[in-house]
Amino acid sequence: MSDIVRRDPRREWIARNRLHPEHLAVRVDPHGTASPSEWPGPNGLTRRNPRAVGFIGPNGIKRIDRSGAQQAATQSGGRQAQPKDTRRRVDIDAPDFLVAVVPDMPGGRLSSHDRDLLGMARQLADADPERPGAVLAVVFVEPREAAFDEAGIDRLLSLGGAGEDGGGDARFDGYAPEARVAALQAVERELAPRHWLLPDSALGGADLGRRLAVRLGERPATQVWQIEADAVSETDWRCIARGAAGGTDMTRPLPRVAMALAECAEPVSETRHAARPVELTQGPPQVLARIEDLGAVAVDPAGVALGEAEFILSAGNGVKDWEAYHRAARILGATEGASRVAVDDGFMPRDRQVGATGTWVTARVYVAVGISGAIQHLQGIQSCEKVVAINLDGGCDMVKRADLAVIGDAGEILAALVAMVERYREQQQENRDAA
Amino acid sequence: MPHDVATPAETELNVAVLVSVGRHPLTARARRADQDARAVEMALTLPDADVRLIHAGRHDDDSDSALRGYLGMGLASIGLLEQPSGADVVPALAAVLRDASPQLVLTGARAETGEGSGLLPYLLADWLGWPIVTGLAAVESVEHGMATVLQALPRGQRRRLRVRLPAIATVESSAPAARQSAFGPARRGGFDPETRDGVRDDALSEWHVQPARKRPKRLKIVKAASARDRFKAAAAKAQGGGGQVLEGATPEQGAEAIFKLLEEEGVVRRS
Amino acid sequence: MLDTLLPILIFSALALAAVGAVRRVRLWRQGRSSPVPLIRGLAAMPRRYLVDLHHIVARDKTMSNTHVATAGGFVLAAVLAIVVHGLGLAEGVLGWLLLAASATMFAGSLFVARRRRNPPARLSKGPWMRLPKSLMAFSLGIFVVTLPAVGVLPAGGWLVALVLAAVVAWGLAELVFGMTWGGPMKHAFAGALHLAFHRRPERFSDKRGGEGRSTGLKALDLEDDQAPLGVETPADFTWNQLLGFDACVQCGRCEAACPAFAAGQPLNPKKLIQDMVVGMAGGSDARYAGSPYPGKPVGEHAGEPHGPIVARPSAQAQGRTALVDAETLWSCTTCRACVEECPMMIEHVDAIVDMRRFLTLEHGNTPNKGAEVLDNLIATDNPGGFDPGSRLNWAADLDLPLMADKREAEVLLWLGDGVFDMRNQRTLRALVKVLRAADVDFAVLGAEERDSGDVARRLGDEATFQSLARRNIATLAPYRFTHIVTCDPHSFHVLKNEYGELGGNYEVFHHSTYLHRLIEAGRLNLKAMKASSVTYHDPCYLGRYNGEYQAPREVLKALGVELKEMARSGYRSRCCGGGGGAPITDVPGKQRIPDMRMNDVRETGAELVAVGCPQCTAMLEGVVAEERAEVKDIAELVADALVENAAPGGAGNRPRRDTEEVAL
Repeated sequence: MSDIVRRDPRREWIARNRLHPEHLAVRVDPHGTASPSEWPGPNGLTRRNPRAVGFIGPNGIKRIDRSGAQQAATQSGGRQAQPKDTRRRVDIDAPDFLVAVVPDMPGGRLSSHDRDLLGMARQLADADPERPGAVLAVVFVEPREAAFDEAGIDRLLSLGGAGEDGGGDARFDGYAPEARVAALQAVERELAPRHWLLPDSALGGADLGRRLAVRLGERPATQVWQIEADAVSETDWRCIARGAAGGTDMTRPLPRVAMALAECAEPVSETRHAARPVELTQGPPQVLARIEDLGAVAVDPAGVALGEAEFILSAGNGVKDWEAYHRAARILGATEGASRVAVDDGFMPRDRQVGATGTWVTARVYVAVGISGAIQHLQGIQSCEKVVAINLDGGCDMVKRADLAVIGDAGEILAALVAMVERYREQQQENRDAA
Repeated sequence: MPHDVATPAETELNVAVLVSVGRHPLTARARRADQDARAVEMALTLPDADVRLIHAGRHDDDSDSALRGYLGMGLASIGLLEQPSGADVVPALAAVLRDASPQLVLTGARAETGEGSGLLPYLLADWLGWPIVTGLAAVESVEHGMATVLQALPRGQRRRLRVRLPAIATVESSAPAARQSAFGPARRGGFDPETRDGVRDDALSEWHVQPARKRPKRLKIVKAASARDRFKAAAAKAQGGGGQVLEGATPEQGAEAIFKLLEEEGVVRRS
Repeated sequence: MLDTLLPILIFSALALAAVGAVRRVRLWRQGRSSPVPLIRGLAAMPRRYLVDLHHIVARDKTMSNTHVATAGGFVLAAVLAIVVHGLGLAEGVLGWLLLAASATMFAGSLFVARRRRNPPARLSKGPWMRLPKSLMAFSLGIFVVTLPAVGVLPAGGWLVALVLAAVVAWGLAELVFGMTWGGPMKHAFAGALHLAFHRRPERFSDKRGGEGRSTGLKALDLEDDQAPLGVETPADFTWNQLLGFDACVQCGRCEAACPAFAAGQPLNPKKLIQDMVVGMAGGSDARYAGSPYPGKPVGEHAGEPHGPIVARPSAQAQGRTALVDAETLWSCTTCRACVEECPMMIEHVDAIVDMRRFLTLEHGNTPNKGAEVLDNLIATDNPGGFDPGSRLNWAADLDLPLMADKREAEVLLWLGDGVFDMRNQRTLRALVKVLRAADVDFAVLGAEERDSGDVARRLGDEATFQSLARRNIATLAPYRFTHIVTCDPHSFHVLKNEYGELGGNYEVFHHSTYLHRLIEAGRLNLKAMKASSVTYHDPCYLGRYNGEYQAPREVLKALGVELKEMARSGYRSRCCGGGGGAPITDVPGKQRIPDMRMNDVRETGAELVAVGCPQCTAMLEGVVAEERAEVKDIAELVADALVENAAPGGAGNRPRRDTEEVAL
């Protein structure tokens, strides 16, 4: 919907003319919009009809909501339908230099770590407005989400995914560090970026970056969490990097290859970039792979160590039907945990105990079924992101801690949840079959 | 471990483990480095493996007790490459490994002291021309000059790799925990000194090193169009100040709310 | 004819006994050397037997009288029989005395027989079931053969003589040479020598009425790198420890007292001692006739004097067992209930810790969280792995005086590792409040304090214990204080009884003792506690280890509490399950020890159980039960009863934080 206010001189005239037969109808809605309480008067002043403000409440009394909630609701369909994309478009035609970034892109999407890293790359590229650099992203996986422009990428070298255009290459799929490093070396030869930035993330950039640095003969900075301009340094930049397993901060000149931690810089948010595709003239070289990826190993979520698990379904005193609980954990794909009482009573093995006296867990989602939340247990789940409590007692400590608490019979709720997940899977399956 | 099945020891696997002096994160006391100790554990659980430990670095009272931590895992001795403080140990280590020619070199991903960049195994691999595998969770089998290993992915997932030997593999905290270090074997164990010339690491001494600062917590920056939105964002209740409580809902409603949360968090597999 | 047969019988029995004794002594001598004053020990033996041992036996009056009659009659009868029948000196009073002695013994053996008719489960069966008959055979046989000797009856024909000789021979076989050849009467021979050469002579009372007590573990010599680290094989025990095992009479009082046995954990102190006897001689435990380790059938374990007691983990993986399984040793809570009950004064806990030492120091195999706890103790000086610099964080608002500043104080308040535990912090706050109310000049070590080493030592890590202890002693050395007060009985015991060997000698009080003194001295102004029914749980390390049963009860009395004592209290108090690193090694059983203890509490009907130990508090509060009694430390009860404004100290206006909600 357009934001331009279209004036209708005839309707305005009728609104001014109280004797006009259509006057009343027009007064109520002078512009034909759904905002009858306010309208711009003929002299440009805003006119208000206080009687038209508000709404009739449930018990017949007129209510005026000044919190703005109502207004926001009425506006949604109105003039300000879509927030306008105010981001500046940036297209660097002839960059002075390149900052190469190799994002991890887990699942084909830029991770927040990748975005932070791109933000850091932009700091390097945009430092001198006279001689702007361009951020080159080297991507080995088939992107699922084309948000490269928003993340601050000027040039995009896409090597991954066996695309029909022949640009992609299945050699880079899975764990193929040797092939990837060889490709990065080809990039180095052809494009010679001034900086190489990689995320210092286990099994992603951390591995690849170190291989690259060694191949290039550069001493990289690792675990970098901040960069600053530094005129004294050869590269005009210095960085602060964590050393000694996070125990020290080392301030040193920024080398050509750097691996940075998450939140090393603010991600790009105010500009959109061209993300122009580039290609290597020669294509990545063939290498003899000495490491062969035989694929993922099916890991039974129940067997995952508690400390590593990301989704835990934990059972306590309130679980009565253990068969149903184990079935629920299996179908949800959750790792099983337990409170001390459940372990002591022999329903669960000792290595499944969560809490200060058991295992400290770091799950993304922790579902506590029938656990009242002894202090030792709550200590053990301190670093869980989302806690869901299913409990009969609405006043227990676990409910107070939980981000979402459902008060009711654990067995019934679990059964309903299992049914829901099964339905969801079936639908997904049908969608896929249909597609 | 189900490796008690008597397999004829056709070829003994020669494994070298590179160990360093660790540092406790709270008290900074010298100890066996956690990842290195896990590497030793992995080597010790390999069937028919001849395990040799190598440490390159200083040997003083402090590091002695830490290194004895490895001996306490049941090893008779540690090969000791004495190097001055702040030396680059890569050339010396590479020379020793070339002479010893193990089939597999295991080590922790990164040291707990010094630069701790985790670059050493890569440099060694480059010097020796061997492949390197990271994040080892288990060695499944070694045969015909190839090792089949499991690599640990985040959240308990595993990936199977086959790597040509000789190779270097690093171990992170996803590998099985190291066995207890016992006082008796630690006291009895010895050091086999070996001398190699050290190379001074000049760059490191030029850097400014200080105890780690706490990193500033990232603030949530709200880019809002209107003053009202900005106010709302600023005045929003801090997270965790009490969650949503569904009381008196039917099991289906409760399950739906939970399912929604699980889906938002992306922990429900699609198939 | 009897005149010729009897001397032959008696002297051949004695000769066989002598041969057996030499063989038995050689079994004991397999053990490591341990210097003992031989003559002084033998001289002290009668007193140790008649006073200390009898004191324990006399806890069961019937058994005590039975034993006096049987054993006293036997000793007298045996000596007189040698004189009368062996040497043929039947004249005068001697024969009559022998008649009286054997008659007494016969009376005693009747009681023994009665007890064996329906023996309780704790008694061993097997050869022990024939003992009353053997006793009767001996006493009756001697009695009858003595009758002609004193001229009451004429000597019978050769058939009668043969029958009588056979009966006497049976009696002699069991009671004289059976004594040294491993029969049930072995306990008399080995027991007597065990009392004489006991490895803890301090245990026994002295003539001046001093009550003997010796409960501190003995230190390993870590300087000598040839000295074995703990006990690997039966022969690694000292010879007098082996002798002590041999003295076991299999009465099963230890079994009845053992909390781990009651909880169904695989430990039975009696079986453990018998296993050591089996190992000392070599063989399998198949002939053991008492209750087994719960869940472990008899006959699957065997050992030899120089073979390992516990199989290495690699051997275990192949299904091989040795004499004892490791989990048996790790089930012990070191509560000393077995030692307290043992009439033969055998030191079970010493033996268990000796064997644990080898498992930890040589095998490197402390189960479950044990290894982690020990690593934490080494790296951070506390079992939880907390930052040692944060020891005093809980008391940030209390402004506790630091020893480092004051250098001198009347009382050094030893806080213990409870500083990291939110529950115990409440106890500590209460204790500080009381000390301030009584205007006590005290100071704390703050971040300088370390774990006392108790847990490390009970888990067998002598090296870490000695390291912690030596550093603590060095920390304490420059400060001047008259005594140490602590609310942790484990620290209390270690500081008081186990630091001495390493050069740290202090006067240490448990807080209940100290509070009792303050109350006696009138330094505390207390109002009566609000009436609720209260019982008191004796911490093992305060009661059995240090004999302090009275002070906590006196303190509670001063609060106007009338105690409802549990059936098992005082020296028979049941462990909470928290000692000896048992919660860390966490050996599964059929039920949990603290649950059993809270059942004891429930039986008294008490609404509140007063405790004096952070470990007990944690264990008992961890019990999930409906209508569980409240658990409160004595310090908390006293702090609650303080009459604030009348207190002589200026502490009355301090904010009360001890009831604060603990929030995460």
